Amino acid sequence: MVVSGNYAKIRKGRKSMKNIIITNNPLVAEKFEDVYWTDGSVEEILIKIRDLVYQGYELVSHPLASSLRMLFSPYRSVIISTPKQQLNFEHAQIIENSIIKYRNHTSCRKTDDQNRDDYKRIDLLLLEAAFAEQQGMWQ
Amino acid sequence: MLKLEIGRIHIKDIQLGNETSVKNGVLTVDTQGLIKFLREDERIKDVKLDVAKPGEKVRIIPVKDVIEPRVKISGGNNGFPGVTAKQAQCGEGRTHVLYGAAVVTVGDIVGFQEGVIDMWGEGAKWTPFSQTFNLTVDIQVADGLDPHTHEETVRIAGLRAAEFVGLVGQDMQPDEVVTYEMGSIFEETAKYPDLPKVLYAEMMITQGLLHDTYIYGVNAQTILPSLLHANEELDNAVISGNCVAACDKITTYQHQNNSAILDLYAQHGKEINFLGCIMVPEHTTLSGKMRASDYTLKLIQMLGADAVVVSEEGYGNPDSDLLIICKKCEKAGVKTVLITDECAGRDGMSQPLADTVPEAVAVVSGGNVSHVVTLPPAEKIIGNVEAIAVLAGGWEGALLEDGSLQCELNAVIGATSEIGYHNVTCRLY
Repeated sequence: MVVSGNYAKIRKGRKSMKNIIITNNPLVAEKFEDVYWTDGSVEEILIKIRDLVYQGYELVSHPLASSLRMLFSPYRSVIISTPKQQLNFEHAQIIENSIIKYRNHTSCRKTDDQNRDDYKRIDLLLLEAAFAEQQGMWQ
Repeated sequence: MLKLEIGRIHIKDIQLGNETSVKNGVLTVDTQGLIKFLREDERIKDVKLDVAKPGEKVRIIPVKDVIEPRVKISGGNNGFPGVTAKQAQCGEGRTHVLYGAAVVTVGDIVGFQEGVIDMWGEGAKWTPFSQTFNLTVDIQVADGLDPHTHEETVRIAGLRAAEFVGLVGQDMQPDEVVTYEMGSIFEETAKYPDLPKVLYAEMMITQGLLHDTYIYGVNAQTILPSLLHANEELDNAVISGNCVAACDKITTYQHQNNSAILDLYAQHGKEINFLGCIMVPEHTTLSGKMRASDYTLKLIQMLGADAVVVSEEGYGNPDSDLLIICKKCEKAGVKTVLITDECAGRDGMSQPLADTVPEAVAVVSGGNVSHVVTLPPAEKIIGNVEAIAVLAGGWEGALLEDGSLQCELNAVIGATSEIGYHNVTCRLY
């Protein structure tokens, strides 16, 4: 894999290398392998994803959450696939738009630090729910 | 095919007491009886009941769900089939509603929940639930419950409380009866051959804990888009497990009174031939989004609809679903109208959705969630005072010297409803 940083090889119990989780959530890093983990901000996570998408990686899960409150979460985990032959333009557009929206929302907000532990747990649960969406799919 | 009579018993006041009754429009709730009923669930440690009436300087926070108390008189099963009652067909027979009353569940499952209802002043303007006579049900759960069980406990308690209170309508004569009747698609199309055939596609947040919706008790995250008769959702088939997007979460009450369905029904046989509802899950993965949008279009085409009205729930990644559905439908020649809300910055000038497509040519906005409102201090707070700090902690200077707090509409329950069950309207300049 081309991803540089602190990540391991295979998600626990799985024998494929198709997906990687980009995250700053320590609970996710503990529970899964195939993780690119950084202790940076959510914005840094999104930028990392953007760079990877331009290198040919595809988005598996959407970079943004589904509620405004989760946009204020200090943690975010996104699943991407290993590189394809060429750039996926739609995915590039999705991640670019996501970064713009994220910056818009957080420009006048403080990160909700008081509830860090709750955000960690919910981010992990939402990630697990994303993996459960296609139980029949080989991955 | 299905005929549903909703009998409305008008409620004009609410109080706590020793028995549940409605006299001259005053709903009295048997406090001890309800507490005992709810505590049959061993996961509940303590229940606090209270009432909040329109005009009182009362703030309810953090609100989990709002439910309309009802009772089934004939057809189906009483309660919420698949959830609090055995499975039964919803949408037929007769249902009595305590019209004007609402059960409001309070309690935080996680610390960052917001969701405020102000019963008076500026805050009241923005939420439809400042105008209902509210029975608040504050649930303390047993220690050590995992978050999923905690959420389920509070969700079920709210539904059961609505069931308990609704029972009082069983032997009452309603003040008015509204009838919803619709035959099969073939029958209705034979009746109105010249009217455009219109479907309603209702997107639901279905992404995991605090972000869930249930149909007949089935977690909608696990479904393919499903066809519902227009009566089913109006008769308790759909409930909310969504606790985070306060302004645009579709509460169970709003499912029971889905404005999009009611408005389409009102035009049925006049301007349109309303075919029914497609319930569309909002997935987290892009392949899930493609699957749900493909399947939605396929149902639309199988039913031969000319047009579809699509409503969203939430903000962020569901914007992608909304626009993918729009793009596919318009390209297939199906006229598409979207109902959403906007995250357009405090001045309303930013791009409103996370994505855009040129096919989105007919869009109804439910309001700007980033609009800032100033809420004066309340005389009484029902729920968790600390949740106000979450609300006020959004940015520097949110808490003003006189105790007023500034927050975005995002925090106000139902403020920018994406099914149109709220107080904000659009004006085109």
